[in-house]
Amino acid sequence: MHNNGHAVSYLDYKGKHSGIFAWILSTDHKRIGLLYLMASLLFFAVGVTFGFLMRLELIAPGRTIMDAQTYNSLFTLHGIIMIFLFVIPGLPAVFGNFFLPILIGAKDVAFPRLNLLSWWLYILGALLAVISVFLPGGPADTGWTFYIPYSIRTTTNVMPALIAAFILGFSSILTGLNFIVTIHRMRAPGMSFFRMPLFVWSLYATAWVQILATPIIGITLLLVTIERLFGVGLFDPALGGDPVLYQHLFWIYSHPAVYIMILPAMGVISEIIPVFSHRTIFGYKFIAFSSLAIALFGSMVWAHHMFTVGMSETAQIIFSLLTFLVAIPSAIKVFNWVATLYKGSISTDAPLLYALGFIFLFSIGGFTGLIQGALSVNMHIHDTSFIVAHFHYVMFGGTGFGIFAAMHYWFPKMFGKMYNMKTAKVGFWVLFVGFNTLYFPMFVMGWLGMPRRYYDYLPEFHIYHLISTIGSWILITGLIIMFTNFIKALRSKTTYTAINPWGGETLEWTIPNKPPLENFEVIPTITAGPYEFKDNDEFLMKENN
Amino acid sequence: MSTIAEHTVGHVHRDDIGSRLGMWLFLFTELVLFGGMFLVYAVYRFTYQHEFHVAAKELNTSVGALNTIILLTSSLTIVLSIIAIRKNNKFLSVFFQISTMVLAFGFLVNKYFEWNIKIHHGIFPGSETLLGKGNGEIIFFGLYYVMTGLHALHVIIGVLLIEVMAGYTIKGRINSTNYVRLEAAGLYWHLVDIIWIFLFPLFYLIT
Amino acid sequence: MIFGSNHIELVNGAFWFIVSISFILLSFITFLMIYFVFKYNRKKGKKAVNIHGNTKLEIIWTVIPVILVMAMFWYGWIGYRDLKNPPKDAMIIKVTAQMWKWTFEYDNGVKTDSLYVPVNKAIEVNLHSLDVNHSFFIPAFRFKRDVMPNRNNSIWFLPATVGKYDIACAEYCGLNHSAMYSKVIVLPKQEYDAWMKNELAKKNASSTQLPIVIDSTKVK
Ligand code: HEA
Ligand code: HEA
Ligand code: CUA
Ligand SMILES: [Cu+2]
Repeated sequence: MHNNGHAVSYLDYKGKHSGIFAWILSTDHKRIGLLYLMASLLFFAVGVTFGFLMRLELIAPGRTIMDAQTYNSLFTLHGIIMIFLFVIPGLPAVFGNFFLPILIGAKDVAFPRLNLLSWWLYILGALLAVISVFLPGGPADTGWTFYIPYSIRTTTNVMPALIAAFILGFSSILTGLNFIVTIHRMRAPGMSFFRMPLFVWSLYATAWVQILATPIIGITLLLVTIERLFGVGLFDPALGGDPVLYQHLFWIYSHPAVYIMILPAMGVISEIIPVFSHRTIFGYKFIAFSSLAIALFGSMVWAHHMFTVGMSETAQIIFSLLTFLVAIPSAIKVFNWVATLYKGSISTDAPLLYALGFIFLFSIGGFTGLIQGALSVNMHIHDTSFIVAHFHYVMFGGTGFGIFAAMHYWFPKMFGKMYNMKTAKVGFWVLFVGFNTLYFPMFVMGWLGMPRRYYDYLPEFHIYHLISTIGSWILITGLIIMFTNFIKALRSKTTYTAINPWGGETLEWTIPNKPPLENFEVIPTITAGPYEFKDNDEFLMKENN
Repeated sequence: MSTIAEHTVGHVHRDDIGSRLGMWLFLFTELVLFGGMFLVYAVYRFTYQHEFHVAAKELNTSVGALNTIILLTSSLTIVLSIIAIRKNNKFLSVFFQISTMVLAFGFLVNKYFEWNIKIHHGIFPGSETLLGKGNGEIIFFGLYYVMTGLHALHVIIGVLLIEVMAGYTIKGRINSTNYVRLEAAGLYWHLVDIIWIFLFPLFYLIT
Repeated sequence: MIFGSNHIELVNGAFWFIVSISFILLSFITFLMIYFVFKYNRKKGKKAVNIHGNTKLEIIWTVIPVILVMAMFWYGWIGYRDLKNPPKDAMIIKVTAQMWKWTFEYDNGVKTDSLYVPVNKAIEVNLHSLDVNHSFFIPAFRFKRDVMPNRNNSIWFLPATVGKYDIACAEYCGLNHSAMYSKVIVLPKQEYDAWMKNELAKKNASSTQLPIVIDSTKVK
């Protein structure tokens, strides 16, 4: 739109501070977004390594490379890192921070300093989790669910891990709060709610879940800490407390948390599909409202994680029924995405491949979620590797692929560089094949009765574990291809100047790559919805010349 | 909307309505946090009806009532300080803020003695006297310490917050045209008050 | 058509029912995606058409899934109902879990490490834990139930075929969680009775040992 060539980019401007302080004390939402990106990638690398080591251990029955205690700590840390340090902050804190203000035509979030505080809390929580590994007693070995009574009996460092999760929760609450106020108060003139990009809608729904559900886990983990310290008896069965009550409180948060993870990824997909089909999205309002519906219904199904503890029959029926109903808004989204491809002008660049990969893998994850929601079947597959496969399909095949899609989509905007498209596509296919090889056998094993969190297993499961471990090697190869592609692009000297490589209509494509400090020279006035592609003919001509 | 467009981020961007919205959301999360505790309370009250009944008799209702009065008064003084600053009466506003802090301090001292006496009688988590009692009573006192303790922590945070506000008022950073931060602190203080209004009957009155 | 236990038919039925629907829908979605990507590929240079939506379609693809999931719910529920309500004449066996082993106690006081049951007789297991949470899982019979220190859960089954099946612990319980295996041994009626007679004799021979009384709520 404007030629802002003279404005200094957010990467280059000089503020009060210099060196690393120009970053870790910066209140610019884009720099904070990058800080989150770097931190979460670091933890992601650690988490992936742990996953890889677990797979190595499981390549054959019996002891392979580690003892049982190490394995138990590994899956605990793997779960805690992946959930609290990686997928929950992944999309909202990285891409939400970077793009939310730009997408609604604002110069920053509502409370920039609070935003920086969130990042610091995140780092503090992460450090505490890291420290717990090295303290005498060894890392926590409870699983990421910290089930009582084991978590108040074990002698490992459960407390630092609990406090870490508590602090991370607060970081997440503050981010959510910031986003809600930003969306309500900072929209550019003309940006009505129904002209907001769907990624913003999904962040809005996510933020409400963060605010409503996270305090519960905060208080619950605090109570476990107090229980360990003082033995107040609130959960300890030896003193009359009820471990099942703990499970309720844990899942009241942790089920909604899975929607904190998936909603922003769904938002990303809703951005990418219309842009790469070069046509307006099908059923904008249905997608927007289904985000809110997921947020709403998602907070009422938590006890489907507890079907085997022995709840009342009425409770079982209600929770199973609601679990099935919560799938409906997801179904609406999937159908609308597919319909958006219809009569489009489809370009199969890497972001779209990742988006379609998301739909496929998330659907498998979602369908297996339905299988788990059926009461009688759950009695059999609960706490087996079927569950492990389900949540990797939704969290990694869903949210993970959503993050990858976002990275490929917004990379040129964020860094002013372009990656090699061929390599990116190769990376996708390797990842996709590796992913299914790694996780699909777990469905089969789970159905055959392989319990989860098992260091050792019966010989009859060997073949599946072997295939799965080989899958993890393929997957990691794909990951390496993808990241080297990005790193190569970042280090190349050629800057990428096309400000709208994909032909998007949302606001980020109107400002320069590596956006300037204040995003917009003049706050834009919005006159149309986010996916009104008017330049059909010109765009096609440019593409084909 | 247009006011936002005029400002740049370089200036300190000010949006009182946004700040208030933010504060309300924050208070909401605090309420949910305590809501979790109240849920735990409700479940155990239901499970151990009789034992809760017995245990509640050991708490001193008049101390609790005194503390309720103190907190209610302090809520009033913080409102008065906001009214004062609106009328541009800096001295009176600071005076009422200090009064609030003094009352809060009184609340804490009271609480200290109350806990102290309990602990003296050997009623604290893990003590022999308490472990000798029934499960329900152990849990009642566990809840009592955790919930009033968490509340006291909020009182302390509130005092610190008001102290900072008093500093701002004296320096003139809070004044008759810009007092949204004092309002936020006031809201926080009301929250502390409201939570106590729930705690008081749950532990002291319903026996 | 019953193999290991009475629950198998309904559990397998519900499972394959949902799997089939899912498979059909997934294939449909995948097919459409691939088909559209080729048919409307940009390389073909056709102009895209802006279609904003279609309320009729939205209703169709909301209502049909609702019906489908209600059917899934129903199928899952009837299997569960079956599992919940033991027949009156069920034989009761007390199961005690502790880190990391199972103990089975029969109504005559005999205790064993493996679970012996007569074929075609309804068995109700009462589950207790001495320490942390465990879960009593017989994969071949398609059910599990959590074993907790402060609750007395129970579950029933009807072993339908003679044989040996694994019992696993399905709730994480620390170091040797993965080694907490045992067996359920389903015997023909006469063999079972003979076995039980033998066990009882063994027990009476060593009856100087008092049975340990366990109060699960007071164990740390
Ligand atoms: C991103 C995270 C994420 C997401 C989005 C989901 C989504 C869903 N999950 Fe999942 N789940 C987890 C993460 C997630 N889950 C985790 C981490 C665990 C284990 C925790 C632990 O124990 O450690 C778990 C465990 C878990 C259980 C407990 C299993 C057990 O321990 O016994 C159950 C049971 O009902 C369940 C169900 C569902 C359902 C019904 C959905 C639905 O929302 C899915 C909806 C989507 C679809 C249905 C697919 C798309 C739709 C179509 C293609 C259209 C056609 C649709 C229909 C016909 C309806 N999940
Ligand atoms: C998002 C969450 C996530 C992710 C990505 C992974 C990744 C992996 N997981 Fe997972 N896993 C969990 C969450 C996750 N895991 C959880 C919650 C548990 C339960 C723990 C418990 O029981 O308490 C678990 C448990 C678990 C088990 C079961 C342990 C047991 O029950 O005995 C196994 C076993 O093989 C396993 C393997 C792996 C492997 C090999 C990888 C990886 O190594 C595969 C390689 C990964 C990738 C190739 C990339 C993924 C990339 C992204 C998601 C986005 C990148 C983002 C940016 C750049 C910003 N994991
Ligand atoms: Cu016992 Cu796991
Ligand atoms: Cu769930």
